[in-house]
Amino acid sequence: MLDIRVHTRQAPLPWWGSCLILFSAVFFSLAMSAGLLALQGKPPLEGMLLFLQSGFGSSWAIEDCLAKAVPIFLCSLGVAITFRLQIWNIGAEGQYALGAVGATWAALTFPNLPGYLLLPCMLMSATVLGGLWGLIPALLKIKLQVNEIIVTLMLNYIGILVLEYMVYGPWKDPSSFGMPMTPEFSAAGIVGFIGETRLNWGLFLCLGIGILVTIFLKYTRYGFALKACGENPRAARYARLPYNGLVVMVLVFSGALAGWAGFLEASSSLNRLEPSIMAGYGYTAIVVAWLARLNPLAIAIASFLLAGLRVGVEGIQLDLQVPAAFGGVMEGLILLTILAGSFFQHYTLSLKQSHTSEKTNQ
Amino acid sequence: MTPEIIIPLLAATIQSGTPILYATLGEIITEKSGVLNLGVEGMMLCGAFGGFLVAMYTGNPLLGFLGGGLFGAMMGAIHGLVCLTFQGNQVVSGLALTILGTGLANYWGTPFVGQTAPGFAPFSFPLLGSLPGIGPIAFKHDALIYISYILPLAVWFVLRHTRFGLALRSVGEYPEAASAAGIHIKRYRWTGILTGGFLIGLGGAYLSLAYTHLWTNGITAGRGWIAVALVIFAFWKPGRAVFGAYLFGGVMAFQFRLQAMGTHIPSSLLMMLPYALTILVLVLSSLRGRHTQAPGALGVNIEPAD
Amino acid sequence: MRKIVLFLLGLALFCAGTNTAVAKDLKVGLVYIGHIGDAGWTYAHEMGRLAIAEMPGVTTSYVEAVAEGADSERVIQNMARKGYGLIFTTSFGYMDPTLKVAKRFPNVIFMHCSGFKTAKNVGNYFGRMYQARYLSGMVAGAMTTSNKIGYVAAFPIPEVIRGINAFTLGALAVNPKAQVNVVWTKTWYDPATEKEGGKSLLETGCDVITQHQDTPGVQEAAEEAGKYSIGYNSDMSRFAPKAHLTAPVWKWGPFYQTIVKAVQNGTWKTGAYWPGLESGIVDLAPFGPMVPKNVQDTVLAKKQEIAQGAFKVFAGPIKDQSGTVKILAGTVASDGELLGMDWFVQGVQGSTK
Repeated sequence: MLDIRVHTRQAPLPWWGSCLILFSAVFFSLAMSAGLLALQGKPPLEGMLLFLQSGFGSSWAIEDCLAKAVPIFLCSLGVAITFRLQIWNIGAEGQYALGAVGATWAALTFPNLPGYLLLPCMLMSATVLGGLWGLIPALLKIKLQVNEIIVTLMLNYIGILVLEYMVYGPWKDPSSFGMPMTPEFSAAGIVGFIGETRLNWGLFLCLGIGILVTIFLKYTRYGFALKACGENPRAARYARLPYNGLVVMVLVFSGALAGWAGFLEASSSLNRLEPSIMAGYGYTAIVVAWLARLNPLAIAIASFLLAGLRVGVEGIQLDLQVPAAFGGVMEGLILLTILAGSFFQHYTLSLKQSHTSEKTNQ
Repeated sequence: MTPEIIIPLLAATIQSGTPILYATLGEIITEKSGVLNLGVEGMMLCGAFGGFLVAMYTGNPLLGFLGGGLFGAMMGAIHGLVCLTFQGNQVVSGLALTILGTGLANYWGTPFVGQTAPGFAPFSFPLLGSLPGIGPIAFKHDALIYISYILPLAVWFVLRHTRFGLALRSVGEYPEAASAAGIHIKRYRWTGILTGGFLIGLGGAYLSLAYTHLWTNGITAGRGWIAVALVIFAFWKPGRAVFGAYLFGGVMAFQFRLQAMGTHIPSSLLMMLPYALTILVLVLSSLRGRHTQAPGALGVNIEPAD
Repeated sequence: MRKIVLFLLGLALFCAGTNTAVAKDLKVGLVYIGHIGDAGWTYAHEMGRLAIAEMPGVTTSYVEAVAEGADSERVIQNMARKGYGLIFTTSFGYMDPTLKVAKRFPNVIFMHCSGFKTAKNVGNYFGRMYQARYLSGMVAGAMTTSNKIGYVAAFPIPEVIRGINAFTLGALAVNPKAQVNVVWTKTWYDPATEKEGGKSLLETGCDVITQHQDTPGVQEAAEEAGKYSIGYNSDMSRFAPKAHLTAPVWKWGPFYQTIVKAVQNGTWKTGAYWPGLESGIVDLAPFGPMVPKNVQDTVLAKKQEIAQGAFKVFAGPIKDQSGTVKILAGTVASDGELLGMDWFVQGVQGSTK
């Protein structure tokens, strides 16, 4: 009989080993996706090449991916920090909505301000409202011990409805023929594109905040406290680490970052607020944060790759006419195989022929 | 408010709460064994599709219902494979499962959209159905709702009063101690995931076989997420899960009837009701000193023995 | 970045070249908001695509389930890059993205459905569904005995509000005591919620219900309660054989064919295309057997009148819910007024928010 045994790796896996595991996991899932295509009578190899080419194979594709990665990165960075403290914040979606509402409020209230005043003003109000949507679960958690998963989840739905109420009601553009959209922001309220690209200046905002967060986590006392509290909240309280303060801080910070993403999408991509701004970035962010093991640089890379995945799937759809749901299947398969593959980073397997003689020896 | 309004409202409450109730009970069992599963939405959708598919091909709604449960359990098996066998992170695995399940159900389901399958029809329960008041509210439904009346009791009894339930809870609460007592942790967690997945799949199948009799892509429309939230809301107790599911279903049904009667409140505000009320109830029960008690080892993987 | 721009320009020129040189070969792309199998809005457009796919020289493709906003801009842009000469964008939220991409690809022709903006190479189009709604309202008004009619509606946008108003006017024309109760579901696509909306209307006394939704959930609710229903999008009678009276339906095929032909011949012009019953883009599904012959005849006669232009649905005087005259006697609502309709006519119960 074959007997599979699991051993913990004695030495940590070298970096190329991790890469090998990652690549084989991705390869495995792509092969499965190709198999699904073949089942549908579509050319499997061509499909996968098309996917890679439309996702990553041209300067446009890279541009598209970067543009799509910006909101995912911001939301993900925020939730990653709450996860470090073991606060299960799944409310980035609602915080993103509120951020967009905040930015829109500023843009519609002060349309005549020059850009150098209006944009910071929009950023501020996005921060405040997004942060508020993080503050509510934080206060409920530390004052009343109410579970944050449920509060953040419910606040997602409420946040989206707040946004809808505003665009269907008070903020509806009188010249939009009654359609649910606010008036276009004044030119000063629009975050522009970098040069001739379709990338907005928010990319630099991401870069800046990414570096700041890295420094914060690595080199400050609070960054350390965050890690310690996350690993063992009870011990942290004994050590007089400010657990409650940290809960408020991370949730507000996470809300603010998601709010920034909402601000950038409203200002740069849509130039106004409308319900279509909600694209599920808040949920994607959670997956990205975990895949990246809560590490800022890895989050940036994972956001980019996930964006590429989504962009690439559109390419297969257009050229091969596969259903949109195929994208979901591929994404799910890739995530699950990567996850299962990470097992081999910590463990090895060995096959042993188990003989009856061995058993008697034992 | 006259009885003509209230009785149908309460009946509708039970109906719209039932799919969520099935899924919530399933998730309670899974989480009691220490496995966090955020894939309920995807599993439910697969259950809805599987149930529809089986009922359509066999012509037997009951087989369809069980088929839905089986599809849910199969999705659960993927979660088990990733989290129990390969030690993957339970949060990501669950979210990936939602993405995969939604994708699979819609991918395979597209050719079947708009078709109908034999489903369950309401009937008056013998004797009980003719009771005044309670009869039209609770006993003029389909068979799956009658099953859902017994289910929470059964789950509660098994978890609380059987050796199996005790072992399952101990695996979720103190895996080290359970292991020391000779309980096979993985076996219990697999059982928790598969039975939970089965019930979640049944919840999905309820939507495509009883609530409506047709399959459309994305028929669950977020109900799986509500179930995830209700588990916490219910403090992992089957009895409170019934309360939560009916509260949620009831408020949803109520806001529609408010609209139907010609109110002028904007519908966005009315739609916030169920979500806001869920938070409110949670805050109130917390004020009364009742706190959530998650299973101790929820979401924590058990390292394989060397 | 200059390289990209040059490349784009080159590609645009290339597209232009192929378009003028061989006018017959045309790649047509469609962008869908939902899934092609939704039995509703997207399905109706997909039928239109299949109709143009048969035309000589035409190849077609589509991308489904495209979110409005930034995602749609990328999808439309990629279609333009890949040499599609005519692109139909079939949801309101694609309006601004379509215009933005159109600016970058001046030689590609875009047709946007259900919006109100045009550009040199962007036309918009829609069908006068409200005309068919009016007819279905007449059927509902004639068939109700409680004089309460229910309407399950998705979102309070002008397209939907216009439909509710036309339906109500139709019902009032044959039954002055009729009243239309509206329930908003805030979803296009959720059979269980839509069914719940339908049931709530039936329980509050409505005996005919209709829908502006993409699934047959409402039809099921009526069938189970033994009441009547009116479908939408396509003939939904197979979901509710005993309840389904009729349905206002979309038929995009012939319209799409004329547009494609015009583009192939180089005769396409920008503008707002808004055909109605006369062109067959909107129609009424066959009546159910329970609709009496005299009702059918009245409705069909009215259909004839509308198609010939002898009768206008929104001809004044028309009052809003509060009794204020919105469309003066002797005038007919302009297309602009219709496109921006955000008030309910008298006889509707419910809020437009």
